[in-house]
This record gives sequence, structure tokens and C-alpha cells, in this order.
Amino acid sequence: MADNTPKGAERAKNKRGIWGWINPYHYNLERWAYAFQRITGVAVLAYVLGHLGDTSFFVGGPTGSGPSPSSWDFIGTIFENSFGHLILVLVVLVLVFHGVNGIRLILAEFGFILKKPSKIEYPYKAKGLGSGQKYLIWIGIAAGVAAAVWAFLVLFEGMG
Amino acid sequence: MTDVRLLVQRFDPLTDEKPRFAEYSVPKREGMTVLDALLYARDYLDHSIALRFSCRQASCGSCGMKINGRLRLACYTQVEELGGEKVVAQPMDNFEIIKDLVTDLGSFFAKHKQLMPYVLRSDSQEMDHPSAEFLMKPEELEKVLQFTYCIKCGLCTSSCPTVGTDALFPGPQALAQAYRYLSDERDEGGKRRIDALDTAHGVWRCHYAGSCSAVCPKGVDPALGIQLLKRHVMSGKARSEGAEVWKQQAAAAPPLK
Repeated sequence: MADNTPKGAERAKNKRGIWGWINPYHYNLERWAYAFQRITGVAVLAYVLGHLGDTSFFVGGPTGSGPSPSSWDFIGTIFENSFGHLILVLVVLVLVFHGVNGIRLILAEFGFILKKPSKIEYPYKAKGLGSGQKYLIWIGIAAGVAAAVWAFLVLFEGMG
Repeated sequence: MTDVRLLVQRFDPLTDEKPRFAEYSVPKREGMTVLDALLYARDYLDHSIALRFSCRQASCGSCGMKINGRLRLACYTQVEELGGEKVVAQPMDNFEIIKDLVTDLGSFFAKHKQLMPYVLRSDSQEMDHPSAEFLMKPEELEKVLQFTYCIKCGLCTSSCPTVGTDALFPGPQALAQAYRYLSDERDEGGKRRIDALDTAHGVWRCHYAGSCSAVCPKGVDPALGIQLLKRHVMSGKARSEGAEVWKQQAAAAPPLK
């Protein structure tokens, strides 16, 4: 299409950018699951990278001559308190949700949990947003919360 | 008769650096759509409001916009269903604003064309000079029918979070149409279609947020089409048997007059 914008005038770009990924307000349950999948994905990646880094302290860090095993003990002390335990509980919650929702996405991409296209009638109800895959979102949330409660009980046992 | 508060996002590239809102008071009447309210404001309160519309019956797909935060057709949304007091009209997200509520759909249509939204066949002679209709069984039609209802309003593409960050992603509308033709029994363009889709910025950039299907006013359900498209691409099947089926049907059909 020809650009008829007058010379010197700037059109508004109007792109939502990353904000569109993490802000599902006004949208459907699947869009919320998408936003959480992105956010928890980054959180899980940060945790895994951090964990790889601190476990490498056992062998002197990535170069072999870096931080000593005592640094590993120091990292341990960071998480040996209520705040550190809450962080770990959160890690369990996001890990389990991310995993279950990831399985849902794989199943949907293989078409296992979706209905076939067919004749449609008003009021339209999208089969692509059908109940089968919705249950899996709720199962992911429930499993994440249950695992977080379990992690809470294990980590805080004896702290009181 | 009460009034409805109509807030319209305004932007003139000649005078404005960024979009702003203008408020209008529109007399409400029974059955009034958002498009009716906008046209009242344009006709009686401010002639400079720019908006795009045509059929007023959800058939042309011209009046797609963001209404009270949600992507809808203005002609298909009644003021009353929004609570009847306040209507906020903004242009669709992820498309450049030409003026006020009018967005540039040029790239949207270009992507639609890029994915070849027509039946591809090897018998070009028959395509150009058909000896009979390209027949389709009712059950075959049913597989693709809902995807043919697309009115190209752009709401699905505007709602897609991937479109907001990846300019090369075809978007849900184009991908749903690609599935429509890929699953058409008469089509033989399977490999060409899959080659166009199975790319770094292609079908795999869809992460099933499903907002395309949630906002579609015609029940097209692009999210379903795209997931089935992924399955099709993964299966590695490219249709070639279509030609034989069609030839048999053509032989049995009466000739065109």
C-alpha cells in the first residue's frame, strides 16, 4: 500500500512490544497462561543459570581456579532463612506450572487436545479454546500450588 | 434520553507527536452501536474524526478497533453491552496509525497474499481454462468452512502478542488461511505452502495465546487452524493425491456451459 502520509509527518508506530507478552488484561485464559509461561520461563532460566553457577563453585568455578567450595557454603547461607525459603517455594511453583503448561502446549501443537474444525453457528464458540486444554491450565495451576505448599511444609519444618 | 461519554483516541501525524483522547457526549438510543456513536460524533460534533467503515453489518471487516480495551468491530458492538455509559475507542494495536482510528493494514494484506490464499494446482491449463467445476464433497467442505468466513478485519492479528514484537511473523489471519488451503482436498501446493511457513519467523512463532480466536467476530478460530497447521507441518505430508481425486470428480461432473 502506498504511504500517503504527508512529508515531514510521523505516523504513530502503535506496537505493543514486550508489554503485549506480559499484559494479558482484557484477554482469555490462554493469554494469561501464555503470559505466565513467558514470565516463569525467564524465572526458571535465571534459576537454572544461577544454580549452574553456584554448583560450579565445588570445582573452582568455570575456570577451575575461581571461587572455592567455601563459596558454595556461603550461597547456602543465603537460602537458609525464611526469605530464601520463600524464594525456593516460588521456584517450585513456577517450575511445576511451567512444566505442566509446556506439556499442554505440546499436546495442542500435535492436535491431541483440540476438536476438529466443523460447521459453526452463532454464537460462535472457538474450538481452539475448548475445555480439554483449559482443564490442563487449571491442572498446572493446581499442581504448582500443591507442590509449593508441599515445598513450604518441607522447608519450613522445624524453623518455627 | 441519556448521553453516552465517548472517548476517541485522536492522532494527526501533521500536528500531534503522540496520540491523545478527545471526549464527546453522544445522545444514546436503543440498539445504538459504537459505530453509530462514532458517526454521530463525526457528523454533528467534530468533522475531523477519521474512521474506517463500510457495510455496518460485520461483513466487510473495516471498522475493527479497540473498544473499552478489547478488540471488536464497532458495528457489531452495542453501546449497551459495554455498560451504556462510557465508550473508549482506540485504533487496533500493532498497526501503524494513519490518523485517529484508521490504521495501515498494508503489511497485513501483504502477508495474507504471501501465503498464497488460493487453490494451487499442477494442471495450470485446467486452472486457466476449466472444463468443469472444482468439485468438493460436503464433508470436505466442512473441514475448511469455518476458515472461509474470515473477513480480514485484522482483529486477530492486532491481538497477537507475537505480531507486537516480530514484524516478519505472518500473523494469525494469514496462517489460518494457509491452513484453510493446505487442508483443501483440491489443493496441490502442500510443499510450497509448508516451505513458506516452516521458517524461523513462521508458524512456530505462534505460542498458542489464543487471543486471535477470542477476538474473532466471525468464529474463524485462527488458533485452532494454526495448531492443526503445526501438526500438518510436523507430519511432513504434502498433498499430491488431490489431483487424482479432482480428475475423477471432474470426469463425472457435467461440463460448464
